[in-house]
Amino acid sequence: MHELSLAVEICRIAERAVGPGRTRRIREVTVEVGDDAGVEPSNLSFCLETLLDEPPFHHARPRLVRETGDALRVCSLEVDDDDPDD
Amino acid sequence: MTIRTIEVREKVMARNDELAAEVRKRLSAHHVGALNLVSAPGSGKTLLLERTLERLGDELSLAVIAGDVQTQNDADRLARHTDRLVQAVVTHGGCHLDARQVLVALEALDLQATDLVFIENVGNLVCPASWDLGETAKVVVFSVTEGEDKPLKYPKMFQQARYAVLNKIDLLPHVPFDLDLAVHHAHAVNADLRFFLTSALTGEGIEEWCDFVRACARSALPV
Repeated sequence: MHELSLAVEICRIAERAVGPGRTRRIREVTVEVGDDAGVEPSNLSFCLETLLDEPPFHHARPRLVRETGDALRVCSLEVDDDDPDD
Repeated sequence: MTIRTIEVREKVMARNDELAAEVRKRLSAHHVGALNLVSAPGSGKTLLLERTLERLGDELSLAVIAGDVQTQNDADRLARHTDRLVQAVVTHGGCHLDARQVLVALEALDLQATDLVFIENVGNLVCPASWDLGETAKVVVFSVTEGEDKPLKYPKMFQQARYAVLNKIDLLPHVPFDLDLAVHHAHAVNADLRFFLTSALTGEGIEEWCDFVRACARSALPV
């Protein structure tokens, strides 16, 4: 449940970063997860896979990068600028 | 196909932290502190608050934001002991309170006429440690029926807390609980943790806890 809340927030951040209506462009979402962030990485990854597979996203993949400390941030997005919907 | 990378570098908790800062700003504007009570389910948070309201309800204006996964049972229990508003927040399955819920709950409180706000978090020693609610301090409550190694099992919560209440000490003669070892474990993860030993059931230790609550209400910020 905790990880699902975080996954929803990660999707919100990604959606805002690419702009409204352009979430189909996102191919990969990279998230840094600290060892002390209070997050179970495989659980977060599962929640993200589920959410990013559904509209408005279009089969984007999560990529979790383990860090030391309590970091928990959306690091970067990989996007396809030649999305056919454009 | 033209693939490129967009740098984001945004904390996942950034929005919650913004709202927590707003909670803090509103409380500070009225010189009101907030204690966020966190614990596992069944440690006695609600009974501790009932005893606190019974003892101090006529003396101080104490408001409570009571979080619960389902039902308003805790808020209803607390409302019997105070004329002040007890604001219930039902998370409908959510495992923690977040700053947005507290900000909304504050709207219903008259902070001008409030000495101190208690936030009774959802019973959970994991998730609430990660969510800043804009509180002045976290108070972690655990009980002698839970085992001495609770601080070692949930270090983040004990690190985040500034105060610890060890409750149900009336049961010490009946359970295999090493009090000194529990305090030792807690101080191993947070050397600055201040302890209160209480039995909310019998009232033992409640006076010292209430003295602390009085001091929090008078000093406002920081607790």
